Amino acid sequence: MNDRNSLRLETGQRRRGPDGQRSGAATMTRRIFLHNSLFLGAAGAVTYGFFPLINTLDIAVAATGKSFKFAWISDTHLYPKDVNTRFVEKTVRAIKEVQAMNPPADFLIFGGDLAQLGDPVELQLGAELLKEVTIKKVYIPGEHDWYLDMGATWNKMFGESPWSFDHKGVRFVGLDTVSGAEDFWTSRKMTPKERMGHMATLDGTLGGAWAAVGAKQLKWLNDKLADWPKDAPVVLFSHNPLYEYYPPWNFWVRDWREVQEVLKPYTDVTNIHGHTHQVLYNEIGKLRSIGMLATSWPWPYAPEGVPVLTQPMIRADPGDHFDGVGWSALTLTAAGNVENEYRMWRNEVLATAPVDSGTEDNRNQVLSPRVADRI
Amino acid sequence: MAALLVLSVDIELAFAHKAPHTKEQMAAFEQVFMDQVKAGDLLFHGDPATEKRLGVKLSNTGMACAMCHPYTSDTHPQEFPKYQEQMAKFATLRDMINWCIEKPNEGEKIDPDGEAMKALEAYIYWSNRNSKLDPGRH
Repeated sequence: MNDRNSLRLETGQRRRGPDGQRSGAATMTRRIFLHNSLFLGAAGAVTYGFFPLINTLDIAVAATGKSFKFAWISDTHLYPKDVNTRFVEKTVRAIKEVQAMNPPADFLIFGGDLAQLGDPVELQLGAELLKEVTIKKVYIPGEHDWYLDMGATWNKMFGESPWSFDHKGVRFVGLDTVSGAEDFWTSRKMTPKERMGHMATLDGTLGGAWAAVGAKQLKWLNDKLADWPKDAPVVLFSHNPLYEYYPPWNFWVRDWREVQEVLKPYTDVTNIHGHTHQVLYNEIGKLRSIGMLATSWPWPYAPEGVPVLTQPMIRADPGDHFDGVGWSALTLTAAGNVENEYRMWRNEVLATAPVDSGTEDNRNQVLSPRVADRI
Repeated sequence: MAALLVLSVDIELAFAHKAPHTKEQMAAFEQVFMDQVKAGDLLFHGDPATEKRLGVKLSNTGMACAMCHPYTSDTHPQEFPKYQEQMAKFATLRDMINWCIEKPNEGEKIDPDGEAMKALEAYIYWSNRNSKLDPGRH
């Protein structure tokens, strides 16, 4: 058992009393405090005005020594145009800005949830819009793209995952973290639309812990990295974060411990993920994770807080559907760093005071899971 | 309906407080409340059948309340009434619910004392029932 798992076990034992219930009186050791801070966030530990807008990560571009850029767009959640066009407008804006990058990006990664309800009309609309991007494009699916026809249309239009390619000394990997839901629909005799509806509801009950890498893909990842130098950079794209942030909304993959084990020998690994629709940054072991913005709408931060290394984004204005959303331009610099620049469509991206923070907003809030979808 | 029947049978005793409450009464009170919570949950998640039953149209964009507020996060019922920036006025939770229906959702404003509003309010309060009361907080 590695240190991280030991800490989790220790934490779990201390937080639960002899009857297995959580105990508020559990002793908090320094190690446990640090651990909790990493996984759950600590209200008093988040700093303001400390981190720059651009996250600079120490990743060596060993092969070429030349910088290059790539762009990320995800979570467009397109509806058919006769339902609404607000998400189309924001997708178009992001696409135009990616296309206008100067110097241009080497490629665009689309990080999933192109569609809202997996409708082929929505996926086709997304494909048409993305034609405006003329650089190389790669894709990974989101759950909203998948559960109407179990990925058939997505795979046909955008290709299957996982995949990998090497580019200027970096191994890029695209994972499928969405197709592993347990079958809740067959026994309930659900139609594909009903299944999709449940999977498209972030706080739904029936979907359960659907986000996963899965044993088959873990083996593929292990094999795919086997010939890669242990100190060479690896960038993993996934729809869901590859750590445990907030399981009830699948802000994780359920097998994140196994993912960590596969990645453990590699010293420069960065996970770039969607799904959470918010500014996020975390480090677990040697794995750095950066959460991307959606173009559609921002999710609230998890009720239990954010990773302590995250400087929260600013509270978005609910009256402006262009607020709190955007895309990301990422640069691998000649100096050997990866820089992530959130292209949020407002001047201030990160909160500089508690009153403007998306996490402070939840200070007195204690929430409960929903009740009406437990069928 | 069963809960309402129990209530109607026992209603005189319940309101008169002339006798100890029975388990059946307490269960009926709870059932009345949870029926409203469940209706509010369905409305909050965009259920067309519940909208039709209650005669409301909460969204014309395909969006539902829960899409921005999973588990009712960020609705903050414990902070109302308060000055609400978006409306530039001192507002109640019901004012805010109607603002969200009209603005982000582009739906049709609902009767502030109607059944749909009571159900939405019940669901939001129930979901936040362990939050700390903090009226006026921005």
